Amino acid sequence: MATPASSGLKFLSNALATPEQLSTSSSSIDGVTPDLEASIRFAGALLTQAAGVLLRLSQDIIAQAIVTFTRFWIGAEGGSLRIYNVKDVSAASLYLTAKLSFQPTSPRSVLNVYGFLLSKQASPLWCINPDPYLESSSSSSTSSEHPPPNPETYILTEGEYQTRRAVLMRTEAIVLRTLGFNTHVALPHTISLTYLQTLGVAAPGVARRVFGHLNAALLSPQLLYVTHQPNALAVAAIYLAAREEGVKLVGSEWWEVFDVDREELGFLVVAMRSMEGFAERELRVWKGKGVPMTVEEVEEEIERRRKGVEEEVNGG
Amino acid sequence: MSSKSRWANEDDPETEAILAQRKREKEEKRRAKAEKQRQLEEQQQQQQQQQQQHQQSTSNYTDAPPPSKRRRLSNDHSPSHQPQPSKPNPDRPEENNHLLALPTSEWGPCRHVDNFERLNHIEEGSYGFVSRARNITTGEIVALKKLKLEPNSPEGFPVTGLREIQTLFESRHQNIIELREVVMGTKMDEVYLVMPFLEHDLKTLLDDMREPFLPSETKTLLLQIISGLDFLHGQWIMHRDLKTSNLLLNNRGEIKIADFGMARYFGDPPPPKLTQLVVTLWYRSPELLLGADKYGPEIDMWSIGCIFGELLGKEPLLQGKNEVDQVSKIFALTGPPTSQTWPDFRSLPNAKSLRLPPSSSPATTPATPPLLPRGKFPYLTNEGLRLLSSLLALNPTSRPSAKQCLAHPYFREDPRPKPKEMFPTFPSKAGQEKRRRRETPEAPKRGQEAPKLDFASVFGGAPAAGDGAEAGAGFTLRLG
Repeated sequence: MATPASSGLKFLSNALATPEQLSTSSSSIDGVTPDLEASIRFAGALLTQAAGVLLRLSQDIIAQAIVTFTRFWIGAEGGSLRIYNVKDVSAASLYLTAKLSFQPTSPRSVLNVYGFLLSKQASPLWCINPDPYLESSSSSSTSSEHPPPNPETYILTEGEYQTRRAVLMRTEAIVLRTLGFNTHVALPHTISLTYLQTLGVAAPGVARRVFGHLNAALLSPQLLYVTHQPNALAVAAIYLAAREEGVKLVGSEWWEVFDVDREELGFLVVAMRSMEGFAERELRVWKGKGVPMTVEEVEEEIERRRKGVEEEVNGG
Repeated sequence: MSSKSRWANEDDPETEAILAQRKREKEEKRRAKAEKQRQLEEQQQQQQQQQQQHQQSTSNYTDAPPPSKRRRLSNDHSPSHQPQPSKPNPDRPEENNHLLALPTSEWGPCRHVDNFERLNHIEEGSYGFVSRARNITTGEIVALKKLKLEPNSPEGFPVTGLREIQTLFESRHQNIIELREVVMGTKMDEVYLVMPFLEHDLKTLLDDMREPFLPSETKTLLLQIISGLDFLHGQWIMHRDLKTSNLLLNNRGEIKIADFGMARYFGDPPPPKLTQLVVTLWYRSPELLLGADKYGPEIDMWSIGCIFGELLGKEPLLQGKNEVDQVSKIFALTGPPTSQTWPDFRSLPNAKSLRLPPSSSPATTPATPPLLPRGKFPYLTNEGLRLLSSLLALNPTSRPSAKQCLAHPYFREDPRPKPKEMFPTFPSKAGQEKRRRRETPEAPKRGQEAPKLDFASVFGGAPAAGDGAEAGAGFTLRLG
């Protein structure tokens, strides 16, 4: 199916979502509103990123895990937020990706890290810990008011470990089945470095900014990593980073050299620029509440919204 | 003036008329083409709009990006909707640049194994059962390989199985078996790989043949195996279990590398702490036998050398009874390593117990691997012997890469490789009959402890003689 010229490039390209998969999701069929789904997916990706950092996994493994996590929820045949716990799918994606990498990690490490990150008292993540002063607690002046969290709120007992390990293994198998064992994820990061060198951009600020955009795009509600090939993501990040850093690139339509047309580039640049606004909005909406991370919490949130609508109707 | 060619005469009114006529025709054609292109584009735009409207009506999630322009995958598009190969467009010359479309695939959940009707059992490898099956909807005959999964494995889905699937999915090459899809049973631990069914494996075929392959046929087979391996190594994949029973042959003379149960990605520098228990004993390279945990694609090249030898002689080249015997058989064939041919071998873990015989001619040994004894391969040409000797070089860095092998003069000299179409056909054992199983050692099991080996006897007590007589009889893999 691939042309001869590109048949050897499979490792540089990804499986992409079909239009059908993008138009419906299993969660939306089950009555999860698109904005709630986007919020939960965003928080789940944040959780995966944080867990990967605590597990000292390299960013390429974390990024691949987030893409696998994202793919899982897409399409009518994907996973539904009312059936699978976001936290479990996040842990399984990370564990699975690390297993296939040069840096495998143990189930115990994964579960310990998730135990900590998911603790409502101890978690440093705003999307989980409902403490409204979470951000300010890091500054020294207020640290006395916020003593370090009690380890008992996140420690994993042996019994819990056994139960959660079984859940992790089961979720891993479910993720594999849902993705048809398609675990390959090509990333734009290394590609972008090659492109930068080709373009003769030596400024380290640009490269840093490119990686920043590429990592932020992992969390995009527009699902950029499952709708665009890595070369396009790399080109868009370079375009944006060079703009922001005030570095002039060659005058001609250089993106075509990297097989990206103007239309795709334009779309991706707009999408990447909208990331910051999206993240700020999410923080505003959910800070102090915590984003639902389990099926029960999703049900509660749906119920709460339903009641809110009813009250509004009754009141008005 | 009459000598002047009629074709060179530009003033010739006749020629001019013809040229003008041609020009007109061309112009018309171009216009028609442009018109067609325009209509197509309009149509495309219309359809795209329709699709967008459709999308927006089905989902009010306005943030969803429009489907990428170069991918039209849904069935409701007409074939005219396929991306146009970049035609020269006179109106907008800047769009003539040809953009390479990366190969794109999709994902979807695993189908159920009941979509296939199992016909007969083919074989049981170390990593799963293989059976012949028919796709119920298409009627196509396939091979179904059931992965062996331990129900309560502490690591979850075994990493070997995952690697097998991932590496196979990424290896689309004419000389590598194609993984069509992964299907599952009702239970979570029933996982099957769907692959095309090939009539033979090279091992069974060699067993049943009276005479080995002709030199031209050997070259055809070897070229195909090596070009498949070249592709794999280019994708940073090591096979780690190349042997004749993992090479499948169809009745059209095409050979495909199969069984990726041991395959994994490598890198440069190589990933640390690779397992040394890889590759079936008879095809295992000396550095693995001597306990190296840093190794690279060279181990596959050694296996290729063993397969080459087996194609020539019809019998496995180095049939050791255990690791120690394997090492002594290797050294009996190649001669012992010297500090010239393999400077690093002394630092390998298992090399310490190895006592080498007093070297006969240390000063004159060249740095390049010596040629194997001619008498062992009487019908091989000099170039062939050179290739075989370099593949079976003790020092991994002396072995040629797959790419270098493909360019070897052995494949250019007479007799030339036989065209695949001219390849003989054979009755298929896997098709119906139950096959005769021969005693061959199995690929090592994952998770086994690598044995601490004592190679003191390699050149000492038991002389490495009398091979062949006990080959295949009462074979046991002694570990530890």
